[in-house]
Amino acid sequence: MAFWNKDAGGVSEADILGALRKVQDPDLRKDIVTLGFIKNLKIDDGNVRFDLNLTTPACPVKDQMRDEAVALVRALPGVRGVEINLTSEVRQTPQMDKGALKSVKNIVAVGSGKGGVGKSTIAVNIAASLALEGAAVGLLDGDIYGPTTPIMLGLDEPPKSVGPRMIPQQAAGLKFMSMGLLVKSDQPLIWRGPMAHRALQQCLFDVDWGELDYLIVDLPPGTGDVHLTLAQQVPLTGAVIVSTPQDVGLRISMKTLRMFQQTKVPILGIVENMSYYVCPHCNSRDHIFGEGGGRRAAIELDIPFFGEVPLDLAIRTQSDLGAPIVVAMPEAASSKTLRDIARQVAAQVSIRNFSAENAGPVLEVD
Amino acid sequence: MPLDPKAVTATKVKKLTPSELQILWADGHETRHIAAALRGQCPCASCKDEWTGERYVLPMHIPDSLEFTKIELVGKYALHFDFSDSHHTGIYSFEYLRELCRCAECAKERAEPA
Repeated sequence: MAFWNKDAGGVSEADILGALRKVQDPDLRKDIVTLGFIKNLKIDDGNVRFDLNLTTPACPVKDQMRDEAVALVRALPGVRGVEINLTSEVRQTPQMDKGALKSVKNIVAVGSGKGGVGKSTIAVNIAASLALEGAAVGLLDGDIYGPTTPIMLGLDEPPKSVGPRMIPQQAAGLKFMSMGLLVKSDQPLIWRGPMAHRALQQCLFDVDWGELDYLIVDLPPGTGDVHLTLAQQVPLTGAVIVSTPQDVGLRISMKTLRMFQQTKVPILGIVENMSYYVCPHCNSRDHIFGEGGGRRAAIELDIPFFGEVPLDLAIRTQSDLGAPIVVAMPEAASSKTLRDIARQVAAQVSIRNFSAENAGPVLEVD
Repeated sequence: MPLDPKAVTATKVKKLTPSELQILWADGHETRHIAAALRGQCPCASCKDEWTGERYVLPMHIPDSLEFTKIELVGKYALHFDFSDSHHTGIYSFEYLRELCRCAECAKERAEPA
């Protein structure tokens, strides 16, 4: 068999790969051939077929890259048709490959400086959006003292156990775990730090998470035991900061941001929540908490700004009903904003997993 | 002293002997740490007063032959050691490990800051 199938349709594998080298992944800043995205290339009588194997099913530029690839290959002499199958394989964060979480590829924390900025709402909707894109997603409610995800996902049955491990609950296409599943909703948890530390450890290591592309951890507000435990116990891929546009909210978010920097957790970006209110009667926009605060902070700190989520009655209603808006009302403007934010989070995760400085040290200590 | 991020990013951590550790840094520097010396600089609250900084564990309490029995990463920012005297509560951030570098070059820099 000839290595290049030149005679069959007049176009060779090398011609096609040569053309595809012109397609750049704008996030990873390399061409899709060098990145190893092209798989199962087949040429059959001028008809070209291959898989474009991306680093996340939630890739924000997948259609753009596919269209570019189609156009370039189609322009080659001897090509009659092009068929591209979009696939994805989420890369694992370095150092993640051991222990109970070895099948979890990435852990992403969602934090804020203060309470009430809608961090849980954002975390739930990011997680549900990634699941809608086809990723395997888990959500861990790290807010030990005030768990809200059981309400937002409409499920508060305690998880079943198999042997020593708990089976996470499933809703909105996600696996999830929360202290709210273990404690009655009107019962307060009155715990000191070491207990919170232990509870989070159990939620991470004693839950049968199985294979996950992304485990989103919804943190409690501030910078406390849960944050420190998480930063010490697992190699976080990164953290997403949620803030309101209000300066006070932002300044406090800075503390969370600095904490992550001190523990070398990469900041993936900032989401601004409650950015504006759209009047349901006249459609005018009111920037109740000020305008542009999140974007300014992102520029100042040189980190990505993921977007502005409006104060939208539907987001709140859906959260209270137990069905995240991105699942229940996919066509709503807020759902589109949230899904776009989730894609950007996924893109940042891919970038981190490709960067050498994020790889961590090689350990030869045995 | 504010450090270059590369100076506090470890690329390799290697146990050369049971009592000697080598750390290679992203800026090309190499640090070697002896277990007994690191034990004496343990930052944990039972070795050092959290407010005054006074050390409770002094060099005379630490045998020169002390060994590392376990070396682990703490998240992405630090190392954790089990020592052969069974002490194991210190978390040594990479920044701290670089600060503690005892090589001639670093000693000189400490003596006359640039």
